[in-house]
Amino acid sequence: MSFLAPAFLAGLAALAVPVLIHLIRRETRRVTDFPSLMFLQRIPVRTMRQQRLRHLLLLALRCLALALLALAFARPFIARRAALAGAPGATVRVVLLDRSWSMGAGARWARAKAAAHAAVRGLGSADRAVLVVFAGSADALTEPTNNRALLDRAIDSLRVSDQGTRYARAIKLAGDVLSRTNLPHREVTLISDFQRHGWSAGDEVRLPAGTVVRTVDVGGDTVADVAVMRVTATRDDAADRATAVVAAQVRNASSAARAVAATLSLGGRALETRTVNIPARGLAQVRFAPSPVPAGASRATVRIAPDALPADDAFHLVLTSDAAVPVLVVEPDRARARQSLYVERVLAIGDRPSFHLTRRSATALRASDFDGQAVVLLNETAVTRGPIADRLVQFVVHGGGLLIVPGTEDLARAPALASALMPARLSAVTDLSASGGTRVAEIAYAHSVFELFSAPHSGDFAAAHVFRYRAAAPVPGSTVIARFGDGAPALVERVVGNGRVLLWTTSIDDYWTDLPMQPVFVPFVHELSAYAARHQQPRSSYTVGDALDVSRLAARTAADGGVVLQAPSGVKKLLGAGSTSVAELTEAGFYELRATGDAPGTGQPIAVNVEAAEADLTPMPPDELVAAVTSRGTEPMSASGQASPPDAERDQSLWWYLVVAALALLVVESVWATRLSGATS
Amino acid sequence: MTAAAPVPVSFLDPSVLARIGNLELLAKVVVEGFINGLHRSPHLGASTDFAEHRPYMPGDDIRRIDWRLFGRTDRHYVKEFEADTNTNFLVVLDVSPSMRYRAAERAGAVTKLTYGAYLAAALAYFSSLQRDRVGLVTFDRDIVEYVPPSAKHLQLVLHGLQRAAAASAGGEEPADARGSRRSPAMSRASDAKPRTGTDAPGSLVPVMRTLSESLRRRSIVLLISDLYEEPDDVIDALTFLRGRGNDVIVAHVLDRDELEFPFADAGSFLDLESGSALPVIPDYVRTQYRQLIRAHSAALARRVGEQRMDYALYDTAMPLDQALFAYLAARQRYSRVR
Repeated sequence: MSFLAPAFLAGLAALAVPVLIHLIRRETRRVTDFPSLMFLQRIPVRTMRQQRLRHLLLLALRCLALALLALAFARPFIARRAALAGAPGATVRVVLLDRSWSMGAGARWARAKAAAHAAVRGLGSADRAVLVVFAGSADALTEPTNNRALLDRAIDSLRVSDQGTRYARAIKLAGDVLSRTNLPHREVTLISDFQRHGWSAGDEVRLPAGTVVRTVDVGGDTVADVAVMRVTATRDDAADRATAVVAAQVRNASSAARAVAATLSLGGRALETRTVNIPARGLAQVRFAPSPVPAGASRATVRIAPDALPADDAFHLVLTSDAAVPVLVVEPDRARARQSLYVERVLAIGDRPSFHLTRRSATALRASDFDGQAVVLLNETAVTRGPIADRLVQFVVHGGGLLIVPGTEDLARAPALASALMPARLSAVTDLSASGGTRVAEIAYAHSVFELFSAPHSGDFAAAHVFRYRAAAPVPGSTVIARFGDGAPALVERVVGNGRVLLWTTSIDDYWTDLPMQPVFVPFVHELSAYAARHQQPRSSYTVGDALDVSRLAARTAADGGVVLQAPSGVKKLLGAGSTSVAELTEAGFYELRATGDAPGTGQPIAVNVEAAEADLTPMPPDELVAAVTSRGTEPMSASGQASPPDAERDQSLWWYLVVAALALLVVESVWATRLSGATS
Repeated sequence: MTAAAPVPVSFLDPSVLARIGNLELLAKVVVEGFINGLHRSPHLGASTDFAEHRPYMPGDDIRRIDWRLFGRTDRHYVKEFEADTNTNFLVVLDVSPSMRYRAAERAGAVTKLTYGAYLAAALAYFSSLQRDRVGLVTFDRDIVEYVPPSAKHLQLVLHGLQRAAAASAGGEEPADARGSRRSPAMSRASDAKPRTGTDAPGSLVPVMRTLSESLRRRSIVLLISDLYEEPDDVIDALTFLRGRGNDVIVAHVLDRDELEFPFADAGSFLDLESGSALPVIPDYVRTQYRQLIRAHSAALARRVGEQRMDYALYDTAMPLDQALFAYLAARQRYSRVR
């Protein structure tokens, strides 16, 4: 007899529990002092020995029930059929089926499936097979099984994916499967078109020693492939209407020159078709006429006529109108003449991203002014009115950016601001004008705000003098990004919810510092604002296999329960809202990312294209791959002759009887114990 | 001695005394005395309570002739008053090992001996307030300590009780306490068979016989014991006292464990008196044990009552003042009926 889960036999240790309880109870049977045994001696004797015997039987019953339960959990089975399965010659075969998009060329996929069926048909009665499909990733679709119908159904249900080829992952998974089996013979059947780019010499994977590798090369045919390799879009926002110039790179992999018609479609509507002549094994550029870009994101596709390999005949991208980062500057009612001048001028000339600036005085500020803003700059003013302060906190928590320039303003007047948002506790103004001022000396160049200035000659903060600043003590959880020469914090960051709060302790005009006069001021303010706004240049297209981080969008819609990512095939995936906010893009086409509850088609499109390298169909000799993944050793394999556990499980149902017996024993035990205790009371 | 005399107060719980102070301890039997007290005497004498007039007889004190009545009736009558007397109040306290039992589980539980000492102290003090002469006898296998009844012996009695209670708490009584005040008449009791609750039935008899012989004056005798004796033996022992005209009060002190037998764990039960052990499964014997102890208590109450003695069962978990109150109320009721 063997066990499927022998670890559960450790549960037999639980037998010690009733025995220990029994012993402990015995231990407590100490001598009890009693005034007089005069009456006890008159009571007819019922000896403890009789009682002890009954209790020992009860103890044995409990132990037996526990032992049966432990045995049942260990899943015992009689190794009758397993011995048959372990007969000499039994083989486990891993069928590795390549379904990268290059397999869609011509009749390759049909041939590959036929080869897989053939590999399954070749199974002996004692053999077992595992079906593993791979492209960019590898998945075992079945457990080791002899059920050919199951394997055939699994093969029939497969289709070509949009991923590229990675042999290493498939070989690694096959090795894992083989190392878990005990059958004497191990075999791998690799069905693929053997593209060279799918294997790199650095892939250090090996199959277990003694594994026989059979290869089925379904490539070898000539595929006259033309592929749209790369599409770029250059925006031109100078005119009244934004336009984009789209250029595509088309490659001809065939050995004959071809004239190819490429069509640009925008939002599903074909705009322009251009024909280009491409030399044999050459590239050509197709440049479309400037086309107007509607506001927001629009889907653009450059497509050529379908050929033998259809997956790379289209290239998708998303054209986004360059959305300016909205910045709200809040000033005191009696602001200095040039208090916000420098910031305004600097942001006005911003490019990539551009900024849209709104200015409000503190008393004219309304809670609704925060709507639609990405960054709020409190320029020497505090938000003291309760509803507006609460709204500001919500604004930051939901991903907004807040720049605080305190000046001489007493921000403690605004408790909500001080406790929930302030990165530091402010104290008195430090005046260094008599000593010639200090400089921004200690800068965390690894930080995104200063990353631009990390290279030599890319900006000199040391040229700026700072004559006055507010002393600040950072609160726990905040980070000092820059310090003045005397060690006092200059720029402090605090992450609140999904938003960022940045505190600049000197002024942002030329009142306390001459930084605005320095060339470094312009990029500094741009970087600071973009960082506070969490601005990212939108990507026009992704490649299959890329990971998409939706945390930013998910954070904004967290209250609504996350976001939905809808694949081109229509498969939806809920992201954020407590689950992961990163999704792997596995299909080519347009994904759509939208808040839960929004109607389909209203979300943000995400263009995903197949891996261009996969279009390189250059084969490698199968033997070369086989040699790379097989070990030279011929170590004898263990032949314990056991069937794989799941199949063996079919042969056993002993555990079920054990559980029933244990339950019956427990019922008897409880009835008996109840009767005993009832008799005593 | 006056009521204001300083006394050790450890036994005299103020709440106990407050409850007793509302009652009068009235002796069931009027005992002759020298000092006017509250005990009614059949002898008419000098007190404030008018009893009757009787014709003058030669030899009567002429000062007691009621001259007003003589003026009205022209006959000599003597005015008689009911005389209050004092009496001996003797506490007989069992200090055998079984009295040192205390329930281990109950918080604040006292031993039966301590409880008995409290009881004795309270009653002794109260009797002392009534000008009674108080005395103490502690006994184990024989008489351990004897404080003869005296109006001046309250302190000695209380000290003796304190020593006995301290011995129960500490496990062994002080060496100087044992027999220190034993009178020559008591020495015979030392030769008596050792008394145990189980293997020497009737061992209360020699102690009581010795005691009764030493009491020259009729007394109120308060016996405090757990009475692990056959009821017949107890009655035999008490008959010595009762037969000499003493008024006997039996205070049967038991721990609640002895009444309820609440033990759960099986094991050996050790007799505190004899040291013998017995394996017992409490669950099996509890019902029968309770029946036996109740039957014992009922038999004692009946037999003691038949002998015109008082019996009361005290549970050490019962508040002391409640127990005293109930008992004294009963005593007063008896006195009114008579």
